[in-house]
Amino acid sequence: MSTNQEKKATGEQKKVGIYICHCGGNISDHVDVEKLAENVKDLDGVAVVHTNTFMCSDPGQELIQNDIRDGKVNRVVVASCAPSLHELTFRGAIKRAGMNPYLYEHANIREQVSWVHHGDQATEKATGLVAGAVAKALRLQPLEPIRVEARRHATVIGAGVAGLRAACDLACRGLEVALIEKSPFIGGRTASLGRLVPTGEQAEEVITQIAAKAMANDKVTIYSCTEVVGFEGFVGNFRLTLKRKPPEEPYSAAEPQKIRMDHLEKGEFLPAAGIFPGDVPDKEQEIFLETGAIVMATGFRSYVPGEGEYGYLHSDKVITLAELVELIARYPDRRGRFLQVKGKPVRRMAFIHCVGSRQIPGIHEPDQDGRLNEYCSRTCCAATLQAAVQIRSSFPETQIFDFYRDIRTYGRGQEEVYREASRQRVTFFRFEPEDPPRVQKSSGGKFPLLVSVKDTLTFGEQIDVPVDLVVLATGMEPTPIKELVEMMKLPVGADGFLQEVHPKLRPVEVANTGILLAGTCQAPMDVGEACNAAQAAAAKTTAMLARGYVELDPFVARVDPERCKGTGLCREACPIEGAIELKERQVDGKTVVQAQITPALCTGCGICVAVCPSRALDINGWTLEQYEAMVDAIVAA
Amino acid sequence: MASQKDTTGKGKILIMATENCAYPGANSVGQAHSTYPANTYIIRVRAPVLFPEQFYLDCFKKGISGIIIMSCGEECPYEGAYHALAKRIDRVYQLMKENGLDIRRLRLTSICTVCNRAFLKEVNDMNELISELGPPVLDKAA
Ligand SMILES: Cc1cc2nc3c(=O)[nH]c(=O)nc-3n(C[C@H](O)[C@H](O)[C@H](O)COP(=O)(O)OP(=O)(O)OC[C@H]3O[C@@H](n4cnc5c(N)ncnc54)[C@H](O)[C@@H]3O)c2cc1C
Repeated sequence: MSTNQEKKATGEQKKVGIYICHCGGNISDHVDVEKLAENVKDLDGVAVVHTNTFMCSDPGQELIQNDIRDGKVNRVVVASCAPSLHELTFRGAIKRAGMNPYLYEHANIREQVSWVHHGDQATEKATGLVAGAVAKALRLQPLEPIRVEARRHATVIGAGVAGLRAACDLACRGLEVALIEKSPFIGGRTASLGRLVPTGEQAEEVITQIAAKAMANDKVTIYSCTEVVGFEGFVGNFRLTLKRKPPEEPYSAAEPQKIRMDHLEKGEFLPAAGIFPGDVPDKEQEIFLETGAIVMATGFRSYVPGEGEYGYLHSDKVITLAELVELIARYPDRRGRFLQVKGKPVRRMAFIHCVGSRQIPGIHEPDQDGRLNEYCSRTCCAATLQAAVQIRSSFPETQIFDFYRDIRTYGRGQEEVYREASRQRVTFFRFEPEDPPRVQKSSGGKFPLLVSVKDTLTFGEQIDVPVDLVVLATGMEPTPIKELVEMMKLPVGADGFLQEVHPKLRPVEVANTGILLAGTCQAPMDVGEACNAAQAAAAKTTAMLARGYVELDPFVARVDPERCKGTGLCREACPIEGAIELKERQVDGKTVVQAQITPALCTGCGICVAVCPSRALDINGWTLEQYEAMVDAIVAA
Repeated sequence: MASQKDTTGKGKILIMATENCAYPGANSVGQAHSTYPANTYIIRVRAPVLFPEQFYLDCFKKGISGIIIMSCGEECPYEGAYHALAKRIDRVYQLMKENGLDIRRLRLTSICTVCNRAFLKEVNDMNELISELGPPVLDKAA
């Protein structure tokens, strides 16, 4: 720890405020926060040190803002979690208190200290990191964001219910919208559903309404049969290359048959396919698009059980919930004694929950990529019970047995479906994940399949249920979009879904500015939730693009004219055409040649900084001098 | 000014971690609560290509025992930066040799946002190395 007390009195006196967060124990359980405060309070330039249970909370932010307003500090160091979570929060707080938001430095003492080190070592390391941050803070200069023009145009990728909702909202607020859908139809997976839980609306009606709005709005251009194959640029100015090509004939999942498109009219709904947006291309086409923001709405796919998982593929009497729901949706008016599946009456049927969801390492088999779906897919419990209720009402002699781990009818109106299923005399059995039901072909007997389970609702009774049909309530997986993820450098969570920055602080945003998330590409959601997310993404996009410009971080190169000798080495090293140019300038009556930066082109990589023999270049906010001072502070700590 | 000696008695390791890959990678190690030696100081960089050769020598002169550059490797979002970096590090190695420094004290790696195992290995390897080598001593004024 530095005990160097001499204060430099160059220009305005620099007064650093240090704000140390407990993170409600996440930090303070391992880092002695009070000792840390004591260790850093006498560092060069430090004016105040505060600690708080949650620095990101309103009272925490007010602590910083009050010190700024009272003139106690003019540089801020926050020691808390990873900067990716709260850098923007604190910059915002500082700005609102009237200080330049770039006079701020962050010390990461949670992810990189308290979560990985313990005891005195943790406190010691935190001291070093805070000392480094202070050293940098003392050398920060006020910066202004770079303003670039932004196109008032947004692109939505995926025309499921989320993509359609987002497109409508964006267009209603005056933006031009490109809606890109890889299939020949719009509406996504909702087109395969029947009556929706919890509202009871018909899925067809819901998507037909939203799709009609999108098609009627002349600000929305729908590109069906299209995929994004090229991506460049930055917020406000993305450039996309699209490929539109004639469709392969799609098949229906429940009743394998080709879906024909030749007689369809614009706006017509085709069960299990969606709404026909008007045309299909007859030859391949490449389209270039300039757009200001991108909303990802690529949706989900249903988990496909492995061969033999609960008898799947070993018997054609084992089907998925998606297939069953599609069947019911196709023939909403059918009634009878028994439900008919594949031409056979179903006297008794079993549902098995949590297939491909809530998987547990050591119990379930990972997929080829070694992944397990450890999350709950949220929609399957309610959809299963809804199907059960519908079957019981329309085909009263079909008996239903429901095998579940937990019933998660979590939302408003969902519990009612569960109650209705019980009232309709669906019989429930509960199993433990390590003791799942077994599905076997029965030899002889009146029923082709036998489901056996150890039922934990009773005393663990072993129960055998002979059935005609087994329906697996398969969960959701993200639609595979590897190419897009790689091309656009999209963050993907451990569960494989696209990852928002923070569910409360920056929902539906990804770390890449200008890209937002809508619907089930981000997590399992039902239709209502997907629409909520889509509206949030649309609102954020509009707020971002409405002004016609966006502000970018000012972290680009700058030239010190006092030092620049015009060697041109920086221009030689710079990989970006036009980012650095040599320009003539008049200095004391003499003409000199010096480097000049075009900020909107500079990416701020710093390649020029290292090659300048006179240290005339630096990256704003990340200068060499700041780094040198950080190293000094770390060594001294 | 920087003190030459190390008060903890244990050499310090400086880690330059790229903001797009290795820095979130280090956070991911934190999220997994995997421990590693505490004499490691991670500084966030946009692209390590910013540092001139002299910066590295100065770090050793100041008493840093080991430096790990955790770059994005081929994933580097800045055109040409990774190759320029690799070339620069070759020159740093040259200078290290001229100054009698064991070149293993400087390591160029790439760490992705979820490369927890690779991160831990790099850090532990470097820690072992510097406890074996002791503090850095430069032959001549670099
Ligand atoms: C069996 C089952 C029953 C359900 N029952 C209900 C219910 O009763 N009530 C309820 O509210 N919800 C229910 N759901 C959930 C509902 O299906 C989803 O909430 C909804 O479909 C999500 O919409 P989405 O737009 O996010 O995704 P999707 O419907 O998957 O739409 C995504 C769209 O993006 C397109 N796309 C994908 N990748 C690309 C690409 N690279 N380029 C261009 N386009 C692309 C796809 O073709 C698709 O059109 C059920 C789900 C299942 C599986």
